[in-house]
Amino acid sequence: MSEKELGKKWDRCLADGAIKFGTGLGLGIVLSVLFFKRHTWPISFGSGAGLGMAYANCQNDLRSHYMLHRSEKEQ
Amino acid sequence: MAAKILPVVKLATKVTIAGGALYVAYDSGLLGSGEQGSEALGKAKAAIPPAIEEWMKYFGLQAQLPTMPKIEFSPVQSWNSGVRWTISSLSEAPTKASDYTSQGLQYIKDLTK
Repeated sequence: MSEKELGKKWDRCLADGAIKFGTGLGLGIVLSVLFFKRHTWPISFGSGAGLGMAYANCQNDLRSHYMLHRSEKEQ
Repeated sequence: MAAKILPVVKLATKVTIAGGALYVAYDSGLLGSGEQGSEALGKAKAAIPPAIEEWMKYFGLQAQLPTMPKIEFSPVQSWNSGVRWTISSLSEAPTKASDYTSQGLQYIKDLTK
């Protein structure tokens, strides 16, 4: 993986992390206000879940260079 | 009769709102892979100025808000230049230190002459 590619992947990872954190936070706030009587835990749960999703995406993305993909397997 | 239906209606409204929020998040690719997320971010960035314009017109604020100055600030550039500055000053430090000490010693010698 070239340095440039790696840098781009990291950029995508961080942007994705920020987006998912924000989305999780928003959804957590919505759910907390609507269903859970304004407790804090849905908000933390949502943001944590968002960060976790971003981590998984990032992990997959960084590993994908070294994995064999199905399209190559056919050959 | 209305009092009996009201809790159901409230619950239905809440479920609709929550479901709608979840669907919007899912549909705009916010919960997908990294590329979809950055796509959505790009679209949102591009859509902000027209939206602000619309809101301004709606509220009758015809006076143009001072346009947000184009902040040419790149964290990546600042970080890189910071790293370069640190390393170069570290590499020059011994030379400069010896220069300063010799200058200082010279100065003291001159004082005591």
